[in-house]
Amino acid sequence: MKEQVISFELNREKVEICADPALSLLRLLRSRFNLIGTKEGCGRGDCGVCTVLLDGRAVNSCLIPAGKVEGRKVLTIEGLTREGLKKGAKVHPVQQAFIDKGAIQCGFCTPGMIMSAYALLRDKPFPSPEEVREAISGNLCRCSGYKQIEEAILEAAKAITEQEGKW
Amino acid sequence: MSYSVTSSLARALNVLSESMGQGRVVAGATDLFLKSLSPELVDVSSVPELLGINRDHGSLSIGAGVTHAEAAASPLIRLEAMALAEACRQVGSPQIRNIGTIGGNVVNAAPAADAAVALVALGARAVLIDLGKRQHHAAVEELYADYNLSTVDSSSEILLRFLLDLPARDEGSAFLRFAPRQALSLPLVNAAARVRLKGDAIESVRAVIAPVNPAPTRLYETEKMLLGSWPEDDTWRKVEYTAASEVEVRGSLLRCSAGYRQHLVGVLARRVLKKAVERAVKSRMGGDGS
Repeated sequence: MKEQVISFELNREKVEICADPALSLLRLLRSRFNLIGTKEGCGRGDCGVCTVLLDGRAVNSCLIPAGKVEGRKVLTIEGLTREGLKKGAKVHPVQQAFIDKGAIQCGFCTPGMIMSAYALLRDKPFPSPEEVREAISGNLCRCSGYKQIEEAILEAAKAITEQEGKW
Repeated sequence: MSYSVTSSLARALNVLSESMGQGRVVAGATDLFLKSLSPELVDVSSVPELLGINRDHGSLSIGAGVTHAEAAASPLIRLEAMALAEACRQVGSPQIRNIGTIGGNVVNAAPAADAAVALVALGARAVLIDLGKRQHHAAVEELYADYNLSTVDSSSEILLRFLLDLPARDEGSAFLRFAPRQALSLPLVNAAARVRLKGDAIESVRAVIAPVNPAPTRLYETEKMLLGSWPEDDTWRKVEYTAASEVEVRGSLLRCSAGYRQHLVGVLARRVLKKAVERAVKSRMGGDGS
């Protein structure tokens, strides 16, 4: 496959890489940028474990051809953690809420789940439980039964608004 | 393979011209990896001519590059084409809706694509442009060559937008789907309807069901039965029966048995038509139709 130069913003830093544009964004992130927090599950848009933010919106990185991110902004779970570190916390408040509420069991769905949750809270700082359920409807979890995840996201919303201005 | 992202329609047409039939238009690209790749892909998702939702000379114009998420949230589509907003809200998952476009939903030509079913019920026309920059219009239901095969040749034409007649004061539309789960699930059957009232009667009606054929399918017998009268309880029972009898359905391992699907066709046709009539009544009384 012919490679081409792809320039985009990755976790708030400008990057440029020579890559096959038909590679999925997921593969690009994992194999070329070593950002392995984003997981591969079904590889066909059904499970949501590969969720990242593209221009602020949750997308399945397994379905996005690398060429498509030219000139756009990509945020992964590593970028979110870094935002937490910058503010003097260990992790981002959404991640902290998942830890506090026991919303993690095997952990494989967690990065995708957190990115979907973060995308929701960016748009709707005060989501209803119904809106939380809709926001994570594209993320499958086979361990937890979703209840703790929903609680964690509502908790994260509270934490973020209480520390208003900080995040 | 090469992949070019362009925000210029002229440039997109040029790339297609120069690729001598080897190029292919993509927008959301959500189904790209599920199909065979073309040597030259042109991403048109940021071409301005494919974006935007606006009123245009008595029509509602919806860009083919509008995503399902944008369509579902658009106040204008919710006001003037509720069936489309409802359909777009139920496609795939939030991640898919954020990037998949309604133009792609039609050109991908899946037989039960939610947005396409709503567009056919609403009477939408597609506006296409060819390599010679000539534009032509086609009814959405005419864009199906076979199962999962569009008449739109993505190597030599680009679907720009959809046009649909703005509803009169006493019109209503609705969309319904029946699926095993509320997200990430193919519909066993989906249905959409558009109804206009005049006095105490239904003056015009379009009822559409899928998947029974390659294209979303009009329920002509059911429509005929409803025209010119006011539906009572007995009529709705007949609607269910007529709709289920007028189409031939197949069972599939992917979806469900033929018998169950036949039953669902009747039930969904009744419910969606009833909902569209209720909205038309409400809109006539000055409500927002929702």
